[in-house]
Amino acid sequence: MNFALRLLLRDLRSGDILTLIIALIISVGTVTSIGLFIDRLQLSFEQESASLLAADRLIRSDDEIPQTWHDKATALSLQQAENTSFSTMIFAGDNLQLSQLSAVTDSYPLKGSYLVDDTLFGIGQPFSQPPKKGEVWLSSRLASLLHVNIGDKVEVGETTLTIAKYLVRDPGSSSSAFAIAPRAVMNMADLASTQVIIPGSRVRYSLLLAGKRDDLDDYEAWVTPQLNDGQRWRTPTQKGERIGDTIGKAESFLLLSGTLAVILSGIAMALASARFVKRHLMQVAILKTLGATPKSLIKLFFIQFIVLFIIGSAIGLAVGWGVQGIISSLLAGLMSASLPEPSISRLWLGVATGLISMVAFCLPLMQRLIKISPMSVLQPSLKLEQNTLFIYSIGFIGMYGLMCLYTKGFLLPSIMMLAILGIGILVTIIGYLVFKLGRSLTSGATSGWQIGLASLYRRLVPNLFQLLVFTLIIMLGLILVGVKTSLLSDWQKQLPDDAPNHYLFNVQADQIDQINTATDQLKILRSDWFPMVRGRVVSVNGTSVQTLYPEDKGEPEIYERELNLTWSASLGKGNDLVSGDFAANGLSIEQNVAKEANLNMGDILTINIGGNTVTLPITSIRTVDWGSMQPNFYLILPKSALQDSPANFVSSVFISADSAQAFYKAMSEFPTVSILNVGDLLKQIQTIIGQLSQAIQLVLLCILSAGALVLLASVRSTLEERLEEGALLRVLGARKALVRQALFVEFGALGLFSGFIAAAGAEASLYGLQVFVFKAQAVWHPLLWILGPLIGVCIISAIGLFASRTVLKVPPMHLLRDF
Amino acid sequence: MAVKTAIKVSNLTHTVTANTGDLTILNGINIDIKEGESVAIVGASGSGKSTLLGLLAGLDVNTSGDITLYDQAFSSLDEEQRALMRGQYVGFIFQSFHLLPSLQAVENVMLPAELKGDKDARKKAEALLEKVGLAHRLTHYPNQLSGGEQQRVAIARAFASNPKILFADEPTGNLDEGNGKVIIEQLFELNKSQGTTLVMVTHDNELAQKCDRQLVMSAGQLVEKI
Repeated sequence: MNFALRLLLRDLRSGDILTLIIALIISVGTVTSIGLFIDRLQLSFEQESASLLAADRLIRSDDEIPQTWHDKATALSLQQAENTSFSTMIFAGDNLQLSQLSAVTDSYPLKGSYLVDDTLFGIGQPFSQPPKKGEVWLSSRLASLLHVNIGDKVEVGETTLTIAKYLVRDPGSSSSAFAIAPRAVMNMADLASTQVIIPGSRVRYSLLLAGKRDDLDDYEAWVTPQLNDGQRWRTPTQKGERIGDTIGKAESFLLLSGTLAVILSGIAMALASARFVKRHLMQVAILKTLGATPKSLIKLFFIQFIVLFIIGSAIGLAVGWGVQGIISSLLAGLMSASLPEPSISRLWLGVATGLISMVAFCLPLMQRLIKISPMSVLQPSLKLEQNTLFIYSIGFIGMYGLMCLYTKGFLLPSIMMLAILGIGILVTIIGYLVFKLGRSLTSGATSGWQIGLASLYRRLVPNLFQLLVFTLIIMLGLILVGVKTSLLSDWQKQLPDDAPNHYLFNVQADQIDQINTATDQLKILRSDWFPMVRGRVVSVNGTSVQTLYPEDKGEPEIYERELNLTWSASLGKGNDLVSGDFAANGLSIEQNVAKEANLNMGDILTINIGGNTVTLPITSIRTVDWGSMQPNFYLILPKSALQDSPANFVSSVFISADSAQAFYKAMSEFPTVSILNVGDLLKQIQTIIGQLSQAIQLVLLCILSAGALVLLASVRSTLEERLEEGALLRVLGARKALVRQALFVEFGALGLFSGFIAAAGAEASLYGLQVFVFKAQAVWHPLLWILGPLIGVCIISAIGLFASRTVLKVPPMHLLRDF
Repeated sequence: MAVKTAIKVSNLTHTVTANTGDLTILNGINIDIKEGESVAIVGASGSGKSTLLGLLAGLDVNTSGDITLYDQAFSSLDEEQRALMRGQYVGFIFQSFHLLPSLQAVENVMLPAELKGDKDARKKAEALLEKVGLAHRLTHYPNQLSGGEQQRVAIARAFASNPKILFADEPTGNLDEGNGKVIIEQLFELNKSQGTTLVMVTHDNELAQKCDRQLVMSAGQLVEKI
């Protein structure tokens, strides 16, 4: 034990082991900091989105929530609240209005808060308690429709309630965003006395839960099998919710980033380990001649590696914890809310990375060390042939396992590994051809160009490996840049500052002019009016949807429910024609919907509109920018097909905080018009996107720093040869400038080739990511083709020249004596 | 009292597998080396000298025949036991010194004793380095020493475990004449004072003649015993 440690200490002094420890610290530190930071962001996202759900988890049901479900939640120490929501008439004297009323328990909301005001059409203050027993809060619109004020009484069914506040926003509103009747909220304790809920009433019951993640997961596992068709388990990140989509994208991106960090760390470890073994092969053979037995060597290296693992991991964890702390505190000023503390349990990721990296990259190499024949001290040619492929295969299997563990799935790691394999093969072929071409074009050693290009071919294997490493790193960087710019600009494009934030529904044709006059007077921006008719697709090319999808499973969205249909003479804002003729007498379908249902030009759909059927071919396909917040439609029909059906009209408007009060007052003249306020929801999404944007930049920075370190390590792995060559050249009379030029040409060419291949790889990967992972539209990235080679040449020659500066600094005599 | 046999080789044959088929490196070798004797193995390059040396030291396993060190047959031992034997009986000096670059001179000399768990390793190493005239170079690293100095460190290391048999592979092969002479003097002096058996592979006639006996190798066979 002591001997092993003493040997380790002595090695440490010489820098060999130090490289390995630093690689381990980088691995563990990078993964830990990213892991912890992502955890904090995820917790933050969950908290933000929980406030939109008003809880951590929610069960929505068409029937009353069974008592056993409450009991189970109590047993798991989960906080509970209930929300019973239904449409009902509210009476105030002679006035009456259909409204969407929620009855909530005292603990509602579990997350987030209400926005309420004491002034009609006020902008609202946060308030975390629901109405008290005997009280009701009405939205300003409802109060104006009923001509009542705070302190007045209204009747709900058989009971009378006093108006205590004007309701501006309900914390759970996003999940019930399309409830278009004006809203009101009352205490659950008054619900029974209203007697409005009778058998057959359309009521939506919600059980809201909050608590520890583990307990919630336990509850989910328990309750999910008991859910019937009318019951849904909802989480903040659940698909189908707009906010869930945003978080889903964020999670995918952050996990992807984490995976990239794992790969980079693996490469750094592999390089350091290979260098370690290379330098220790002869040492082990010598130790064997001196009487070291295989067992004692196994013990010796085992102890050394355990000690290295403990030291490297401990420092790596501390560094990782520190770095994420610094990042978070730097972000504190930028984020709307402070990030929650990361969970210590996430540290396992760093430890696992360190351990798996050491086992995957060091053990096979260590085995080679132990197997080396002592005879090789007499006959150096006996050195074990390096089975590099086997060793790196084990390394990559280890990394793959870790990535699967990390992303809790196989898809992303598999895609990445396959991509890396593909790139590896491609890079090897291209590199071989290019290096060989470079060599055949140059002969002699009179210029740096000749020496530099010749070196590329002479050190073919290490240079091909470096080409691959550089290509991968530049590619990862470019992918991140591409993902960041395209996704963020996509999201930001979705949410311009003056994006419409209110929808106007149920508008009759004769109201349009009056509403136009009212909004024009208030200088409110308004989109076009679209007629809206409800209809359901019943058959495709003569085959009924029921025949196509008998089990309701895997049914494309277009067949699933009643659709809002419209007609329009021209393509609306945010619509772009992909194929066909919009003006033709047929259907215009949105591209993604068509793709999902495998519908093409010429397919014939039959649509049931209020009992009448319309059969039309698809005559155009268009894309729709759903983020534009304009009224948009999956299907647009010719006017002739819809003009006999009763239609109402829809439009969207942008209401600023200044114009809100005046707008609501003006709209109270049109009691039948439904107004849906989506502005608050958008604001919350924007906050989350803001955080994500910061996070992406930081994750990018972390990964690129790790990448730079990997570059440095990989240059160092061929440093000895470069030093020897530089020394020889200088001994033979070459000027420093020639050696410098040769190095620059060699690294510059490596960088240039890496940059080009990386740009191609990144473009292909981004296409895959955009189309398959983020379900967005693929776009071309010309920036990558400039950035890739430019970064390649600049960074790689800078790092290369920096790492090999000794070649130029140290007198050649010193260098020669080292070899 | 009869002199003990340190190394006994009977009918030693060694073949290796090459691309062109099996290649016989050593063929029908018989040697007896007495305790305290110095023996030079000479011959042209590729005649099998180094292979023979490696087999005698138990660095590799011969294909057939027997090699015994102090009546202990190598062929009956596994790698673990052979390593123990080496630690117990054998010291080495190599043409290219083979010092560990990350260790100081004194640490290199300490290695064999440390492997045996000897607590006085440092003291013994310092004494040995003093004997070879390197008391002032204890904490120098190999790359801070000249070739001659490095080989003297290697000699000190070879004697650090009090070996009964010392194997030397071209010990002066990488040294100039002056340094070579110093090394040889020190080697034979230590050999005598410690009563070690010396088996040496060399191209140097002068050095070979200093030994008690010379074994001449040619094409894997022992052709002459002088």
